Amino acid sequence: MTPSSAAIGSPLLAAAQVATRIGEPNRVAMAFFFLFIATTLGITWWAARRTKTTEHFYAAGRTVSPGQNGLALAGDYMSAASFLGIAGLVSTTGFDGLIYSTGWLVGWPVVLFLIAEPLRNLGKYTFADVVAFRLRQAPVRMAAAGGTLATVSLYLIAQMVGAGSLIRLMFGISYETAIVIVGAAMIAYVLFGGMIATTWVQIVKAILLLGGATLLAGMVLWRFQLNPAALFAAAAERYGDSVLAPGRLVSKPLDAISLGLALMFGTAGLPHILMRFYTVPDASSARKSVFYATGLIGSFYLLTFVLGFGAMVLVGSEAIRAVEPGGNMAAPLLAELLGGTPFLGFIAAVAFATILAVVAGLTLSGAAALSHDLWVHVVRKDHATAGEQLKVARVATLALGILGVLLGITFKGQNVAFMVGLAFAIAASANFPALVLSIFWRGYTTAGAVTSMLAGTVGALVLIYLSPTVQVDILKNATAWFPLRNPALVTMPASFLLGILVSLLVRKPEEASAFDRLERRMHLGEEIT
Amino acid sequence: MIALYFGFVLLIAYDKPLLARKLTPGLSLGILLGALVIVGSWIMTWVYVRWANSHYDTELRRHR
Repeated sequence: MTPSSAAIGSPLLAAAQVATRIGEPNRVAMAFFFLFIATTLGITWWAARRTKTTEHFYAAGRTVSPGQNGLALAGDYMSAASFLGIAGLVSTTGFDGLIYSTGWLVGWPVVLFLIAEPLRNLGKYTFADVVAFRLRQAPVRMAAAGGTLATVSLYLIAQMVGAGSLIRLMFGISYETAIVIVGAAMIAYVLFGGMIATTWVQIVKAILLLGGATLLAGMVLWRFQLNPAALFAAAAERYGDSVLAPGRLVSKPLDAISLGLALMFGTAGLPHILMRFYTVPDASSARKSVFYATGLIGSFYLLTFVLGFGAMVLVGSEAIRAVEPGGNMAAPLLAELLGGTPFLGFIAAVAFATILAVVAGLTLSGAAALSHDLWVHVVRKDHATAGEQLKVARVATLALGILGVLLGITFKGQNVAFMVGLAFAIAASANFPALVLSIFWRGYTTAGAVTSMLAGTVGALVLIYLSPTVQVDILKNATAWFPLRNPALVTMPASFLLGILVSLLVRKPEEASAFDRLERRMHLGEEIT
Repeated sequence: MIALYFGFVLLIAYDKPLLARKLTPGLSLGILLGALVIVGSWIMTWVYVRWANSHYDTELRRHR
């Protein structure tokens, strides 16, 4: 590294005495990035020739193996927020980042125990298939599509804005160019290659991300005699014992609980994750894929913890904040320190690939809600031909892709970190209660399902607007009407309660009797119907 | 699982000093428990998948 040249070109770095090449065009990063784009477009070309029906487009022909699906689930789930975000959070606050890592992981056993198998046996392409199985199609699907699109759009905004700023910071190209590149690549994957291409993009990305993180963590631990405790001790020595204990991030107990709820149950309501369970041949493979995904994601979160403390000790919290106040550059800075500019380039390209793969998965699940739920089942009342379904799915993909680019440009420069938390809150309060109640409770009715999904979606949106997250942090008001930073603690129980209450008030005997059919199919799979 | 995680979250929320206690130099109880929550979820999914894919599926097949 050359300490002097770094700070010159970039005004952002001028004030801080940080020796870094972040923000300068990086040949290695470009090379890795083009290699990734070329490989994934090659995969897309291969997948496009195999994508002939909606079953291929939405569910990869249901031929994905459990191991492949486990990797792809991990790829869909490990967003830039978890790679750069958690490493950054740990490097600047210490222990507090662990709340996110554990919260994001414990959602997976919930998915396995409650959701994976019924979802695979009852549905076709979307989670609304399951909720609408024995209820009235049109109202349930409209409400479910609302919940899906709200979750997907918010997640998409967070990823797009993150992509734009990260790429600008790492490659030195403009924010808008970065957004358009991400949008174009993601539209190409989904539009032509559907779920087959999306699955393989996720697999490639998951391997790159896990490989990169393992290498980086290995280099960190090498400096501490391969002993994590020595690393933590060094952090405590430099920044005090408080970095090893819960700190200011969760100053209020109820905030910690509310965030925990959203992270844990939100996973079981994320449309792009749920959709992956339709790509495997049967329930047994669905279970196995959760096991692989949990292992991969768990080890990844353990690694990010090492990366976070490594960056804290080796790079220094102050230096990380000086480059980017949110701490998001902790992992790239660490890579540069340990492996020089080429390694920085590699990690930068991995971060880009990470975002690209996640937005592709999101777009596909949003397109499924628009075309499969709204167009095929609500507008056309299930009378659309196979060709029309595929065409509508592609139009929806294109529309969502363009929407994603526009949203990304609209929200330029905004603090959108809270939107991932909000997306999880909506998933936990709208999608998750409706799924669980429709699978496990005979008395659930159409009116109850619609009420719980609408209450969850609207409630979460309204409360987050009234919360300190928006009122204090963004609008700079002194106080906020609603005290919690994440609304899940209120909206998730409210959604369950309202769904149950309305179902009890407006009973539907014929919907209750259809529950026997649901139970039979849920346990025995589709061959017995 | 829910109990495991919320036990951890409740400790974070209400008993920070306990989590700050150090077991060995550098390793606080909080960090150890966090790592154990991750490893614990992994073991639980493994046990469930083993049980479901052998025992439970065989039972189901007999009911068909």
